[in-house]
Amino acid sequence: MDGLYVGYGSTPVLVDVSLRVPAGAGVCVTGENGIGKSTLLRCVSSLQRPDQGTIKIFGKPAGSTPEFWRQVVTTVEPPTWYAGLTAREHAELVCRAHGIDPEEAGVDEALERLGLGGHTDAIPPSLSSGQKQRLTLALTLLRPSSLLILDEPEQRLDPEGRATVAEMLAEYVTSGGSLLIASHDDAFAAASGAEITNMETLAAAGES
Amino acid sequence: MTLQATDLSALRKWIRQRQSAHRERGATATNVYFAVLFVAIVGGMLHKQLAVIFWPSHPNASELAGLALLATGVGGLFLALRRLGPLGLSRPAASFLLTAPVSRRRLLAPSLRLATLAAALAGALFGLAITGHVAYRPMPGGLAAALLIGSALAGIVIMLLALATQAARVWAPWADRLAGLVLAAGLAGFVLDSAVHARRAGTDWPIATAGIAAGILAVLVVALMTVSVIRLGRTPNERILESAQTAGTLLDSAFGVEPSFVADMIERRYWATRRLRSARLWPRVPPLVAQDLLLALRRPRRLLWTAGSTALPALLAHFPSWVLGAAVLLGGMYAAGASTANVRTDAANPVLLRLLGLDSRQAVSERIWVPGVLATIWSTAALGILQALGDLPSGQWWALGLVLGPVGATAAIRKARVGFVRNDTLAFDTQMGVSISPGPLFKVIFGPDALLLGLPTLLQIAQGHPLTWTLVVVQAVVGGFGARAYIAGTTGHDRVELNNNY
Repeated sequence: MDGLYVGYGSTPVLVDVSLRVPAGAGVCVTGENGIGKSTLLRCVSSLQRPDQGTIKIFGKPAGSTPEFWRQVVTTVEPPTWYAGLTAREHAELVCRAHGIDPEEAGVDEALERLGLGGHTDAIPPSLSSGQKQRLTLALTLLRPSSLLILDEPEQRLDPEGRATVAEMLAEYVTSGGSLLIASHDDAFAAASGAEITNMETLAAAGES
Repeated sequence: MTLQATDLSALRKWIRQRQSAHRERGATATNVYFAVLFVAIVGGMLHKQLAVIFWPSHPNASELAGLALLATGVGGLFLALRRLGPLGLSRPAASFLLTAPVSRRRLLAPSLRLATLAAALAGALFGLAITGHVAYRPMPGGLAAALLIGSALAGIVIMLLALATQAARVWAPWADRLAGLVLAAGLAGFVLDSAVHARRAGTDWPIATAGIAAGILAVLVVALMTVSVIRLGRTPNERILESAQTAGTLLDSAFGVEPSFVADMIERRYWATRRLRSARLWPRVPPLVAQDLLLALRRPRRLLWTAGSTALPALLAHFPSWVLGAAVLLGGMYAAGASTANVRTDAANPVLLRLLGLDSRQAVSERIWVPGVLATIWSTAALGILQALGDLPSGQWWALGLVLGPVGATAAIRKARVGFVRNDTLAFDTQMGVSISPGPLFKVIFGPDALLLGLPTLLQIAQGHPLTWTLVVVQAVVGGFGARAYIAGTTGHDRVELNNNY
């Protein structure tokens, strides 16, 4: 992305922000609350249009077409759940929609690994906020994708959960996926295999 | 340390004073004025229609129909009161006063008074309608008074029973099921009444019995009310919070003219009480079809009600035939609507469709199957029952039902894709000087408008001609091509969003 400007009313949030995430690598954006990390991620996910600037994903302009969403997964938006479907069935549905066999994709293993093995029959709204976060990440990682855009994936997770998620994200990057996350936890970001970049540096890079 | 109970009336007075300080001068009087004006205008416009409903010029229903209306009223009122509480608090009161050291009984007393008044009014209206449609004329004044007072008291008894159920944990589901059965028996009574020539009311209704019944109900009300007031303080907190949430959602729904808030709340509560076991989605069935099928099978009671409702068009057999035709088409749409919850979820927020990586055409093409099957089965059964009861001209009408599936499914899917009511559309001025936002109107029209695909059926039933196989083929072609055109015209391989843009 290059020369990104976003403002809410008269308040500028992103001013001349530029960032490059190499394919098959991870970048973690850090910075204080309100500095524009989530706004940046929303723009890259094409869920928000910047006032100025260009964003390209794998060489093409960011769009919201089905083709784009088959490549990109994001947790920038608050999760929504289908009524009457259990946690495991959500995971199975995601796999089936992508033409993958749920057993081969390792649905049960992924849920077990993220500490949801005992909650596979629960409907997601009945889970705790941390468990919902784990389920969201499980669904995100189970389906095929080329770019993960995650907004504070460590949020609401206990230390053990953070370590597991960081490990899974590092595996994702190692297997060739690209990762863009926003986080307040440098240790988590480093364990995820992402290069840490401060938002202030991004604005400065745009200005230089 | 002992806590002294705070004087609740002083606290409420203080809250009212603070609230009124933020209102404009005369705002309350203006609201009352507009409420009275609204009732007067609507009453003036609809008084003839209201008279037809509550007090027709001549009694026009049998005693069986009267009993059916009674059962429907008892079951329906109980279930409605249970959905609303019947005891509730506003959301702010639930947050600040429920946890405060105030008398629980005094806190809930205004709600009990309101529920009593509303139940008495509902009971009296039902009693008036039953008397007006069934009882002989002219009726002795004493009998009319006994029936009306008895109905109002019966309404209060039902409210008090609902109140006892609200506080009960164990037998509350059983009470709801029983009320559902009473309601279903009432609806079945209507269908039976339309099929047989049931006895009309004679002039032998005993005044004394009606008076005694009203007296017994009065004693029952006093006894139950006394027990209820004594036990008022023991109403579990979670039940009060639940009804506070209900009241809040109803207000949100009314202010936003958005009925889906209430539907979503009911849906959430239903699933929150269910214990599920993860099933495997059928591998040979497309994933979204398998999901819809699983969801439909997980709501057997809804399927049962949908099945039972196939007999309801028979109630309209004596209405103008176009009404019967419209009811068959609308019924197909509502039957299909039993399986459109996932479309509503995706239309409101496409986040899951993005995660599934599906485009809108794939999604709708798969989501239309289960509603289509439900609409087909419903229409076939409904037309088959009408044919069996002799309410339609000659012909194999059930066969027409077999081809009505795409019509009901298209309408139901379109209705589910409307999304939230838009209040940002340009308002239009009426002759009465009132501006009306077309958003809610669009919300009502979108969906049923697709029933135009069933025009061949509607015209055939309206004209009262015998059914020909040619018409069945015509309806099949119109419905099938219409559904395909709807999908092709409103979805695409290049977009994910399902919501209709209007």
